[in-house]
Amino acid sequence: MRFIARRVVHSILILIAVSFLSFTLLQWAPGDYFDGLRMNPRISPETVNGLREKFGLDQPFLVRYERWMRSVAAGEMGFSFAYDSPVGPLLWARAGNTFLLGGCSTLLAWFLALPLGIWMAVRKGRWHDRLFSVVMSTLLAIPDLLLFLLLLLLALRTGWFPAGGMTSSGFDELNLWGKVLDLVRHLALPSLGLAAVAMPILVRHIRAAMVQALESPFLLAARGHGIPHQRLLWRYALPAASNPLISLFGLSIAGMLSASAIVEVVLSWPGLGPLMVQSVLARDVYVVLALILLSSIFLVSGNLLADLLLYASDPRIRVEQ
Amino acid sequence: MNSPEMDFLLSVRGLTKQYAQKRLISGAHFTVEALRGVNLNVPRGAAMALVGESGAGKSTLVRCLALLEKPTHGEIDFEGHDLLTLSSKKLFRARREIQLVFQDPTSSLNPRMTALEIVAEPLEVQREGTKDTRRRSAIELLDQVGLPTSSGQKLPFEFSGGQRQRIAIARALALRPKLLILDEAFSNLDLATRDSLLQLLFELQARHSLTYIHVSHDLRLVTDVASEVAVMYEGRIVEHAPTAELFTRAKSEYTRLLLEAMEIDSAVIDDHTVEVMR
Amino acid sequence: MTPRLKGWTLLLILVALHIPVLFAGFFAPYSFSQQNRDWSFAPPSRMHFFDSYGVFHLRPFVYAIEPDVNDPSGYMADLHQIEPIRFFVHGSPYNLLGFLPGNLHLFGIHGSDRVFLMGADAYGRDQFSRFLYGGQISLAAGIVAAALSLLIGTLTGAFAGLYGGWIDDAIMRGGEIFLALPWLYLLFAVRAALPLHITQWQVFFLLAAVIGLIGWARPARLIRGVVLSAKERSFVSAARAFGGSDFYLLRRHILPQTYGVLLTQMTLLIPQYILAEVTLTFLGLGVGEPMPSWGSLLSSLQQYYVLTSYWWMFLPALLLIPVFLAYFWAADALQEHLKSVPL
Repeated sequence: MRFIARRVVHSILILIAVSFLSFTLLQWAPGDYFDGLRMNPRISPETVNGLREKFGLDQPFLVRYERWMRSVAAGEMGFSFAYDSPVGPLLWARAGNTFLLGGCSTLLAWFLALPLGIWMAVRKGRWHDRLFSVVMSTLLAIPDLLLFLLLLLLALRTGWFPAGGMTSSGFDELNLWGKVLDLVRHLALPSLGLAAVAMPILVRHIRAAMVQALESPFLLAARGHGIPHQRLLWRYALPAASNPLISLFGLSIAGMLSASAIVEVVLSWPGLGPLMVQSVLARDVYVVLALILLSSIFLVSGNLLADLLLYASDPRIRVEQ
Repeated sequence: MNSPEMDFLLSVRGLTKQYAQKRLISGAHFTVEALRGVNLNVPRGAAMALVGESGAGKSTLVRCLALLEKPTHGEIDFEGHDLLTLSSKKLFRARREIQLVFQDPTSSLNPRMTALEIVAEPLEVQREGTKDTRRRSAIELLDQVGLPTSSGQKLPFEFSGGQRQRIAIARALALRPKLLILDEAFSNLDLATRDSLLQLLFELQARHSLTYIHVSHDLRLVTDVASEVAVMYEGRIVEHAPTAELFTRAKSEYTRLLLEAMEIDSAVIDDHTVEVMR
Repeated sequence: MTPRLKGWTLLLILVALHIPVLFAGFFAPYSFSQQNRDWSFAPPSRMHFFDSYGVFHLRPFVYAIEPDVNDPSGYMADLHQIEPIRFFVHGSPYNLLGFLPGNLHLFGIHGSDRVFLMGADAYGRDQFSRFLYGGQISLAAGIVAAALSLLIGTLTGAFAGLYGGWIDDAIMRGGEIFLALPWLYLLFAVRAALPLHITQWQVFFLLAAVIGLIGWARPARLIRGVVLSAKERSFVSAARAFGGSDFYLLRRHILPQTYGVLLTQMTLLIPQYILAEVTLTFLGLGVGEPMPSWGSLLSSLQQYYVLTSYWWMFLPALLLIPVFLAYFWAADALQEHLKSVPL
């Protein structure tokens, strides 16, 4: 219990540090959202200044930080100038979409990578292992961007999949089954793309963890006792490898956000990614901040989850208490 | 072992060393006492053995003597000066007098340096002589430890374990120290190699007027080499006697336990140690 | 082939790949901004040795192109106008490496027609030339950023490993904060923090600096590990025993142990950072016009009609694959080489 409490406190401290640092960073930035307005000759400087005052952009640093933190605590997370609304509501719907995409692609990636990695580890050194190592290396060398663009091309050329978006027009009229199907069709390409991007590294780590387990002395001893191969693999090697694999799972959830931002832009998936790009271009500061905070919450939670899973699954850690 | 006429090279008084450690998961702090008031006198020209089980504090003591660690309390008197109170400049000079040969011949030599570079390094650090004189000294030292000149350009991986220890010994001698401490220097070697190295050390002792401290957890090594033995247990010296005396008339309970564990026959020891003692 | 030889060969190949980019002025037939609306989205030029009469020409040639009468957005070859490819031609002037003026190009054609090895973009600019020039930006950004990450990572990792205690804790905690942020989001955020109206060179350096600054945490952890284990090696204690100062130990004994790790990290980080720059520029957050970057070459693909009709606009992205592969293989060979050096 104390272990868990310490890790949670640790994570919260990191998040506070992140929020402070990013706030500082962005407040240093010369210029702001209203600079764009100032360019417009029809809007007088007084109006611009009035707007800045209204949003408290002329207040000293600590005041602004404090107000922002309060806003975060209240769930509003600041105010978006571009959308003329509190940031919070903007985020939730999109965050859900990103998590949906991220969740599906992570599951898909693991669903494909786990068997492959185990299979390659068992056949280490043989042509199966070498062939797929080359395939994975080549896949790794393909830039994410290219992959997503090619998937978009596929959609446009063949029409098998929709070319973007999350739902088709007329979505609301469909029945439940129709809705699910429509969603899946839209999810297919982005998930596939994200999974393909994540797979090479996953496979490499899974294979390495399995190889280490398979070559460890205790396994060799078990083999010497005549335990059959299948049992060795599933009941001995896999549990031994689960420690690094669980950590890896936590990390793969965590790393998913960065990759998903790009695929969301290219395939027009209405998630946090396009919002981020827009807000950066428009210098909509509080949206950017909220997104940073949200994404680091996500990452830190992923790591925390990995630690907790480790705690639950590895008796050695519990005994040390 | 304290006769006033004896000339002590090294005199340790009340040496204490405490470590602060953290528990792995809970993070609570607790102290480890590696040395609890060690008193030891090392006579000039002796070949002393420092024995004890693992964890008794032998390595800690030796690291303090070589000034690699700072003790919490105590004094280390070397030829009359307390090493622990020296200014950093004097300390730099004083380092030449006490040198160390480590246990693992592989880890104690930088794998990227040639044998000559390794042996000459102490001279370089202490800024002695020119590149040429240092090189010549290194060649001379390698010769003294029985390694041919041609091996000077080789890298550590090209030597056997025993040869690497010879290089380590040559390096330790570069600054002409008065005290040479060998920390389990032969534990990783086979018996034949160990014997030839012990023979080498014996010759070197006479040649350079060295004083030795052999650290070992193996009492049998002691019988081959040492004139006197200090026994350590849980951070203290529990016994210190000439070798023959230790084996036949051990005073401390612990020493007797050790001897029993080694199954040393005192009768056999008498004859043997008479030869070693000169 | 021994691991050592393999490593050096791959490094050589890698360097060879960078030469056309480095000397883009010479290798590229045109400058990166030469426009001609007559050749908007011209396809890659086809090389021929046999002309329409069946005559063999020793020198390969291309046909001049003109708008296709049947297809308003396409082109067809004018079989009567043969333009041989000449080597070492004089063409538009350039500055090699930024300061050596010249106008000799490796190849080109005389006259007003163009040879488009990789086709042309919306403004009729030669994609091949833009690819070479763009490589200067993208590769340089990757290399500079990687060097920066490794520099910071080595300094912090070495200090953390050497001194331990609160310095170690502080540095590692700091690193955790950087690792707690998805790198792309952090990149966006810092890019958002940069003033919008600064010169392109400033954007480039700031971009490389930002990419590099974000990535110091992982190398720092690795270097710290190496330093921690090297610190415990007896040869370091031995050196301390004969008077070596902390700085001497670091310089002579500890840091050399990190060279292998550093080199491998370099080859792994550079492709990542190149991709980061390309992605940012693609999204409009990187280096802007007129400086081409591989990212800006790809940004036109955001329009569906370009994506589906003009396949050659994909070529810059496809060419990234061999570049990355070269780096990965070099990294693998280096790792093998490190393992083969007996310690």
